[in-house]
Amino acid sequence: MFDFLVRRLLALIPVLFVVLVIVFSLVRFIPGDPAITLLGPGATESQVAALREQLNLDAPLLQQFLEYLTGLLQGDMGQSLKSGKPVADEILARLPATLEISVLAVLIAIVIGIPIGVLSATRPNSLFDHLVRVTSLVGVSIPAFLLALLLQLVFATWLGLLPVSGRMSAYLFVEPVTGFALVDAWLSGETGAVRSVLAHLVLPTSVLAAFLAATLGRFVRTTMLEVMTEDYIRTARAKGMTWNTVIYGHALQNSLLPAITVVGLKFAEMLGGAILTETIFAWPGIGRFMFEAIRNRDYPVIQGTTLVFALLFMLTSVIVDIIHAMLDPRVRSKIR
Amino acid sequence: MNDLIRFFRINTLATMGTSVLAFLLAAILFGPFLGLASPLELNMAEKLQPPSSNHWFGTDSFGRDMLARIIHGGRYTLAIGLGVVVVAFIVGVFFGTVAGFLGGIADMVIMRIVDAILSFPALVLAIALAAAFGPSLQNAMLAVAITLAPQFARLARSQALGVSVKPYVEAAVSLGLPRHRILWRHVLINAIGPLLVQASLSVGSAILQTASLGFLGLGAQPPLAEWGADVSANLQFVRSSPWTALGPGFAILVTVLCFNLIGDALADWFNPRRRSEL
Repeated sequence: MFDFLVRRLLALIPVLFVVLVIVFSLVRFIPGDPAITLLGPGATESQVAALREQLNLDAPLLQQFLEYLTGLLQGDMGQSLKSGKPVADEILARLPATLEISVLAVLIAIVIGIPIGVLSATRPNSLFDHLVRVTSLVGVSIPAFLLALLLQLVFATWLGLLPVSGRMSAYLFVEPVTGFALVDAWLSGETGAVRSVLAHLVLPTSVLAAFLAATLGRFVRTTMLEVMTEDYIRTARAKGMTWNTVIYGHALQNSLLPAITVVGLKFAEMLGGAILTETIFAWPGIGRFMFEAIRNRDYPVIQGTTLVFALLFMLTSVIVDIIHAMLDPRVRSKIR
Repeated sequence: MNDLIRFFRINTLATMGTSVLAFLLAAILFGPFLGLASPLELNMAEKLQPPSSNHWFGTDSFGRDMLARIIHGGRYTLAIGLGVVVVAFIVGVFFGTVAGFLGGIADMVIMRIVDAILSFPALVLAIALAAAFGPSLQNAMLAVAITLAPQFARLARSQALGVSVKPYVEAAVSLGLPRHRILWRHVLINAIGPLLVQASLSVGSAILQTASLGFLGLGAQPPLAEWGADVSANLQFVRSSPWTALGPGFAILVTVLCFNLIGDALADWFNPRRRSEL
């Protein structure tokens, strides 16, 4: 297992290098002189020179890149052009909010998506199956911002059941210990705060979970249907095993492994959706931070958030590979 | 081909998708001749009107007819879906086939770049690139195409690897045919099926991604009637006049849904195991 992990991490190095080159190049893709473009017309020469200095645009390209790398290794992502604070600190302060909704969304999607896919595949062409197919297809086709708007309109504006946006009611204050609002509210021991945090979590988490649950449901259904045509299923049935043992003992086990990989892959798309969702629900995570940075043309922040999103995704893929290796006996025997 | 048509006809969902898309296409092509209001014509006296017989989809805050804007925006959406996928297809298939056929250093370099691009959440990279290129519809399309191309490259590479060990390719090599000719005439032609399925499945996500960039202000700029940009332009009126933002939003949903239905059917068609079952 240790060898497997080391090899998996080593393989990451060249990819990470290219990722860093891409993120580094983002500012250099700006047409013309980035400093002049960012400052707009009417900027004085000294302002342009100062910004070039701050973005480190004057040194030779290779030296710029090396300095960028050494900075990153020391946890330095540059300063925000808007607030002047270090980008790394600003991102760290917002990371828990994003992790909170995305991790919850993954859990919800797994709990809903997998059973739905299984039930649908075991009753092909039934009414339930058709319902699941259509709903899940709508789920993967709906723009995240439209679903967010609809939920907000229906449950917050019209029915008034849930808060429109934000993370907690304004009159409540909870000591930020971990940065995760739910944990902090729980630590504070106030039931009102916990209830408020939960109510604020429902809509943004649902938007993120909907897409993943729909993808997962579709995927599990297709894999199950394919697995059901395998020889070993027929053998199991011929041996006189009950329908349920065959489904849950044989078919489901063999469909779940690829499903884990899909959850990992689609997690990336969900992170992308977090930008739209956080923007609409005024959720103070790194997605909204990136959106604000785009509005302010705050390139160090755009670079920083882009890199953090990529790192989060790469970390997820490693975790998924490890889970996969632990669960798949074929891979496990190779590792030993 | 006849088989394919029959396959589509017994597949109700795919038939629905094709019909709705055909209707949309007709509306886009013939809409301008039906005497609809101009999508850009301002009429402040009729601003934020709810749907009525005069304005089926209501009007926005400038009194512009939403139906006209949605029909007009359909052009951009179809052009986006097809344009982005064609660019991603050409770039991805070219590099993927070259990597799979040549192997060695070319393969390694190309595939590491592909891996790196796939390490970003697609929308995040598209947003970052579009922000750097500058906000415009063309730049947004380019950014989305860059994030989609690696999928084609990976698929093309594995197809090319599979095909290049086939006897007919070995025969062509031993006959001394030039490499580029083998690559195009023998390898690529025989690897094209799954690539086309991937292309049809990508149209929906190309439209979704570009609309998301438009929504974030990184794609089409006002007063262009692009659907994603229209949703965000009307966001501030969504509580009092929901039709302004929801109309273009649902237009995106319906179009993407149709493309996904067709893509699904094509994927089933090319998968012999699933085809026999239907």
